[in-house]
Amino acid sequence: AIVKHLLCIVRLHQGGRYNDDFDDGEDIAEFDDNDFAEFEDVSEDPAVDVEKEPPPRAAPSSTPIEDDEDEATVENEDGQDEFEDADAQDQDMYSKYDNEEFEGYEKTNPSFKNTLIYREVPAHLQNSWESYYMEILMVTGLLAYIMNYIIGKNKNSRLAQAWFNSHRELLESNFALVGDDGTSKEATSTGKLNQENEHIYNLWCSGRVCCEGMLIQLKFLKRQDLLNVLARMMRPACDQVQVKVTLNDEDMDTFVFAVGSRKAMARLQKEMQDLSEFCGDKPKSGAKYGVPESLSILSEMGEVTDGVMDNKMVHYLTSHAEKIESIHFSDQFSGPKVMQEEGQPLKLPETKKTLLFTFNVPGMGNTSPKDMDSLLPLMNMVIYSIDKVRKLRLNREGKQKADRNRARVEENFLKQTHTQRQEAAQTRREEKKRAEKERIMNEEDPDRQRRLEEAAQRREQKKLEKKQMKMKQIKVKAM
Amino acid sequence: MTANNMADPRRPSKIFRYKPPNTETNPTLEDPTPDYMNLLGMVFSMCGLMLKLKWCAWIAVYCSFISFANSRSSEDTKQMMSSFMLSISAVVMSYLQNPQPMSPPW
Repeated sequence: AIVKHLLCIVRLHQGGRYNDDFDDGEDIAEFDDNDFAEFEDVSEDPAVDVEKEPPPRAAPSSTPIEDDEDEATVENEDGQDEFEDADAQDQDMYSKYDNEEFEGYEKTNPSFKNTLIYREVPAHLQNSWESYYMEILMVTGLLAYIMNYIIGKNKNSRLAQAWFNSHRELLESNFALVGDDGTSKEATSTGKLNQENEHIYNLWCSGRVCCEGMLIQLKFLKRQDLLNVLARMMRPACDQVQVKVTLNDEDMDTFVFAVGSRKAMARLQKEMQDLSEFCGDKPKSGAKYGVPESLSILSEMGEVTDGVMDNKMVHYLTSHAEKIESIHFSDQFSGPKVMQEEGQPLKLPETKKTLLFTFNVPGMGNTSPKDMDSLLPLMNMVIYSIDKVRKLRLNREGKQKADRNRARVEENFLKQTHTQRQEAAQTRREEKKRAEKERIMNEEDPDRQRRLEEAAQRREQKKLEKKQMKMKQIKVKAM
Repeated sequence: MTANNMADPRRPSKIFRYKPPNTETNPTLEDPTPDYMNLLGMVFSMCGLMLKLKWCAWIAVYCSFISFANSRSSEDTKQMMSSFMLSISAVVMSYLQNPQPMSPPW
């Protein structure tokens, strides 16, 4: 019985090429014991291998079965295995058979081997970190950014603290309120800087004669942003300290004046609303007033320049010329020109009497906390300027000139916006009429409706009469 | 007494409170970098998630870091955190879907 089974199985192997035999084999297998049923599947799989196998293998039929089984199982389990393994298996299989049987076959064997394609192992299956070098680069970049953030933040913080420590005494002796963030209920000095950013610190001082208040902004470089650090390697820049003193009406006479580095003056003349309107002439060289050539002056009139540039001021400017970016005194200060989308703004921008100082911190970016002490004389200059501006008054001629200038600017502005203001007024009138009509329509009470309508009609009639009167008057005058 | 007053310029009666400058009337004063970077970071992380591009996700992480570094202290931390989390999730998702390392563009 066992031999019969084995013979059937052999025929199953053969049956890979001959369908009849194969069918017979299958039929026989069906009647067979279930022990051998599993070999049905085994025999179907390695059809290629079966082709290569020599046909009459009665005796060691168990071994082919086992081999096939091994073959089959190996292939089933490691379907995506490397061809190297498959090759090895093939080799083993071939070595078990007679070489005679494979005489013709061996010649074709090498060609088959040459068509084998060795695929590369996908990188993520290789157990090496080297393939992830881009990721490692990215992470290192991020770590570098974080390190730079921490270092830059600390440096800016130290610089700000150093500045405040060196200026604290001067400020506290001049102002009643030093440091305020506007949030506390009572106006008490906080005694410390407001941190707006990792690179901008504010300080508000108030409570002094001759001024409303003083806002100091420490505008440091963005040391905490690596991109900015790299950009600064191409284009050097420096830290700036900006002081803005706002004055009450009685603290300053009407004039506009600016002095600073030539570049800054050219830029401000274009950018600033008041400088472009009141100081039309090109910036004059500072040499005329005893100040270094590198500084230039923009002024509303010569009298103003003479008034501002007294000896002490000239001394300050000369000794600290490289630290001064711009100094701007103005009673018509409204900030830089605002670009409006709908053409001109409908009303003049709000102005405030202001003294604006912009100082460059020495060191061009490579500042150390000690450099902050060198800015102290400049703060003294600021205090001196506040007192000076209070005392500076134009003579009669100057005042007349100044008033004329201001009237001229206002007139120009009104002319430019005339058409727009007319349109705006027209739309407003139409809106009013519409609103009234709506109100009349919405009135439920018919009596009230009638009364409102009559009132509106009477008003319109009055207006018409007025107009007619005016026309008559004009006609009479013309005559 | 008067001598003291003359020398001391401080006037507690003339104290004005600090009013933060109104940035609506003067938009030129504000630095737009953190807002731009935030938006860019979100766009890149969405690209990275949808199109399964690893480099997009990494750029998104960088953008959110830059936005954080440039942000004002008055700004919402929730916004920063949300963009940061979005970019991190973009990176993680890209690697979960395709564990292959990123190939350089050259």
